[in-house]
Amino acid sequence: MDQSEKRLIKKIRKGDQQAFAELVERYKNSVFAICLRMVGNAQEAEDLSQEAFIRAYNHIDQYDHERKFSTWLFRIATNLSIDFLRRRKNVVSLDAVVPSTEGLSLNAMLPDEGEQPEDRIVRKETEEMVQGEIKKLPEKYRSAVVLKYIEDLSLKEISEIMEIPVGTVKTRIHRGREMLRKNMMAEGGGRA
Amino acid sequence: MSCASKKYVSLMNKVLDQEATEQEKQVLFEHLATCDECRVHFNELNDSTELLRRLTHPQLPAAFTKSVLDHLPPDKRNVIRKWGSRHPVLTTVAICALPMSLVVIGARRQTRDRSGYALVKVSGDQT
Repeated sequence: MDQSEKRLIKKIRKGDQQAFAELVERYKNSVFAICLRMVGNAQEAEDLSQEAFIRAYNHIDQYDHERKFSTWLFRIATNLSIDFLRRRKNVVSLDAVVPSTEGLSLNAMLPDEGEQPEDRIVRKETEEMVQGEIKKLPEKYRSAVVLKYIEDLSLKEISEIMEIPVGTVKTRIHRGREMLRKNMMAEGGGRA
Repeated sequence: MSCASKKYVSLMNKVLDQEATEQEKQVLFEHLATCDECRVHFNELNDSTELLRRLTHPQLPAAFTKSVLDHLPPDKRNVIRKWGSRHPVLTTVAICALPMSLVVIGARRQTRDRSGYALVKVSGDQT
């Protein structure tokens, strides 16, 4: 962990909220991305991100400063998202309908680098389709896949965040990847 | 997928996890060149993860950090000082309350003294 972060955490332990604000600025978008892809709704993801930071502040004494702060923070965010999903399972889902992507092959849905304004609609549809597919994954595969492909973390970091062995992380990513492939084929490319 | 392909699926996973050796990569790609089923499978896996990677990373509104700070428990170090500067009148009242209460209690005692045994004491003085 870099030195500036260590200094910030020392200050936070003494109750310095400005130091904490610096850490929030540093990690807020990563935490938001995890929550957003886990729960699939921006407003809920923002609330969860806020809760994750408040928890981190209130439990800063439990943070082991020998490890990366981001690992600890991402674990809080992932666990909160999973808890949220479990709670929501008991409520009837209103957004269970997955947007149709009929007629588009997977390759056609990959956004181009030099994007034209009219391509934005296609990209938005693609995003909704991909988010819909992530949503279909069971929680334990979903968190592994999100940490790997959205946050671009190493298998070792993911194993520390999820507190499971690297081998288990691999299995979850492989199964998640395979499920995504099958479902995406059935939804999009398969029918094209 | 046939049994023979299982070996290649695990190679595909190694390649996608970026853990395959050069030799393993070569074995896989040589097989993909001749096996349509595996090639399609590998391309589909690749496309699926590529779609995940290219999801946008939306930014939180700028007010997010402030909103987090507003929800934190008050800063213990400054809580008395901050409260004092925010409520000067109440602070003055609080500071004055202690000597004032002593005065009030003292005054009450005096009244009680006057009506009680103090009289005896006074009469004692006069004799």
